[in-house]
Amino acid sequence: MRRFFLGVLLLLAAALPFIFQGYWLYVAIVGLYYAVLASSWAMLAGQVGIISFAHAAFAAVGAYTSAMLVIYLNFPIPLAMVAGSGAAAVFGLAIGALTLKMRGPYLALTTLAFSEIFRIFLTAEYELTRGSYGLKVPLMLDGNKTWCYYIGLLLLVATVTTLSLVLRSKLGLFLLAMREDEDGAATRGVNTVYYRLCAFVITSACAGLAGGFYAHVIGLVSPRISTISEMGLILAMSVFGGLESLMGSALGALALQSLTEYLRAFEEWRLAIFGGLVLLILKFTPQGLLPRLSELLDTCRQRKSNMLKDEHR
Amino acid sequence: MLMLAQLVNALVIGTLYALMSLGLSLIFGVLKLVNFAHGESLMVGGYLYLFLASFFLSHSCGLPLPLALITSMAAVFVFGLILERLFLRSAYERKTARYDEYVILVTFTLGIFLQNLALPLFGPYNRQAPAIFTGRIKIGDLVIAGDRISAAVIAFLIIALLLFFLYRTYLGKGLRAVAQNPDAASILGISVARMRGMAFGIGISLAGVAGALLGPIFLVNPGMGVPFAIKAFVIVVLGGMGSIKGTIIGAFILAMVENFGSILLPDPTRALAYKDAYGLLLLILTLLFRPQGLFGEKERRA
Repeated sequence: MRRFFLGVLLLLAAALPFIFQGYWLYVAIVGLYYAVLASSWAMLAGQVGIISFAHAAFAAVGAYTSAMLVIYLNFPIPLAMVAGSGAAAVFGLAIGALTLKMRGPYLALTTLAFSEIFRIFLTAEYELTRGSYGLKVPLMLDGNKTWCYYIGLLLLVATVTTLSLVLRSKLGLFLLAMREDEDGAATRGVNTVYYRLCAFVITSACAGLAGGFYAHVIGLVSPRISTISEMGLILAMSVFGGLESLMGSALGALALQSLTEYLRAFEEWRLAIFGGLVLLILKFTPQGLLPRLSELLDTCRQRKSNMLKDEHR
Repeated sequence: MLMLAQLVNALVIGTLYALMSLGLSLIFGVLKLVNFAHGESLMVGGYLYLFLASFFLSHSCGLPLPLALITSMAAVFVFGLILERLFLRSAYERKTARYDEYVILVTFTLGIFLQNLALPLFGPYNRQAPAIFTGRIKIGDLVIAGDRISAAVIAFLIIALLLFFLYRTYLGKGLRAVAQNPDAASILGISVARMRGMAFGIGISLAGVAGALLGPIFLVNPGMGVPFAIKAFVIVVLGGMGSIKGTIIGAFILAMVENFGSILLPDPTRALAYKDAYGLLLLILTLLFRPQGLFGEKERRA
């Protein structure tokens, strides 16, 4: 059932450029960028229990690294994107190594400070980054939107598959054990700090890669990528889709991104609305909206089949 | 002379930093959570003071500005009680399995919500709130702007009141008891839930009044709280999470570093931009060399 659902979803996604062109395809591409960010953030927050507020900032690290390598050093775009992902991973490693050895909200605090100060840095270093005007970036594949869309889809599928495989591997089991009972896992010989650091670095690299993709698809990078509001948007997407589900978060991102386009008229109220909704979701169904809906569907179906059984008797 | 002026400035700003960080520290101590909406509480206080002060001024009541200050602080206190009741109490009482992560998500989203509610409501522009005292004070060659000195004096008085409250009154002792050991406090008949609400209300009202005092010096806008919140985080980590003494000392250390650090950068526009970045440097140094903070206790694992 689940496989079938996934297959249909993938087919639909692959057929999308034949249905939509122009503006809505562009919307879908940006949606894929957010989907990669939201699903990797959900892995971190939902499965590992690390709340990082630097995910948007790491995307900006990837975007600016990749953009500047291409512009100033004439790197080929794919190589530059990989380098951008590596740069985000290095920042993740540094922040993680500093904060993950302590319990408590140290990582959340430090990542928030980092993302704000990285934004200040991007705005202040005008000669390198063109400040808040943003840096014009060469497009990938000569800006062919259809191909860009498929690259984005490939990126999303690769991210979700890789992270799911990680969760099923030994590392994933350790992470699960730590999430449920950290002291228990530690007494059984799990090096909790090391595995958490691994998860943080992997997901940070995903954010950096997404940022590089964004830079070369949109053609403009600005410090706006690294704002706290942008981080709030990613959080909202993950919570909508369900923090503990990678696919759910990716779908949540695509749904919110299309919703955003419908809400163009309310542009400035958008984050207030999303923020309010997230507060309600967190209060009433902390596991997220999509899982809750499918749960409800399941119980309905169960009830129906029970009724059928009763009739047979 | 320049050095002396910088020193006075650092002391003034440090007092205001201490005021807002004490709120964060108190919330951390009692509720065991970092309030990621602290900056937005400060912003709410700033706007409340701005509107109340201009309303009172135009209707010429007696003593308008101090009244506006006190009213906005009280309003933020009530706001805090409501927020705690709505979003934090149930998580505590139901013993939500992953309390730590839940409270980070809730307070951060609350901050995003408030900031993006203020943006369309009040507009993105900077506004200047009226200062309580607008003259200048001359001591020898040293000239201090009146709005700064009055803000620092009021902040100092509020901190003194807070310390008296925490260490000398029954309610304050109850708060500290819950911070030290909630189970023992509840056995001795202290209502932990009520103390948690109280701590959250007082904590964000301190941020609110800091916002009201900062409004005339810096400007009021929907995003004004973000840099101050980050400074408060740095101060609380530097001083040691939950330590009152550490928070006050940390606030002055950060103010000194910011003021004297900006002399080191020759390019003035860059020096201004990076003033907020010294905090991150201090945070990294703290985490590297003394992760538990100056006066924090080393964590003991069960």
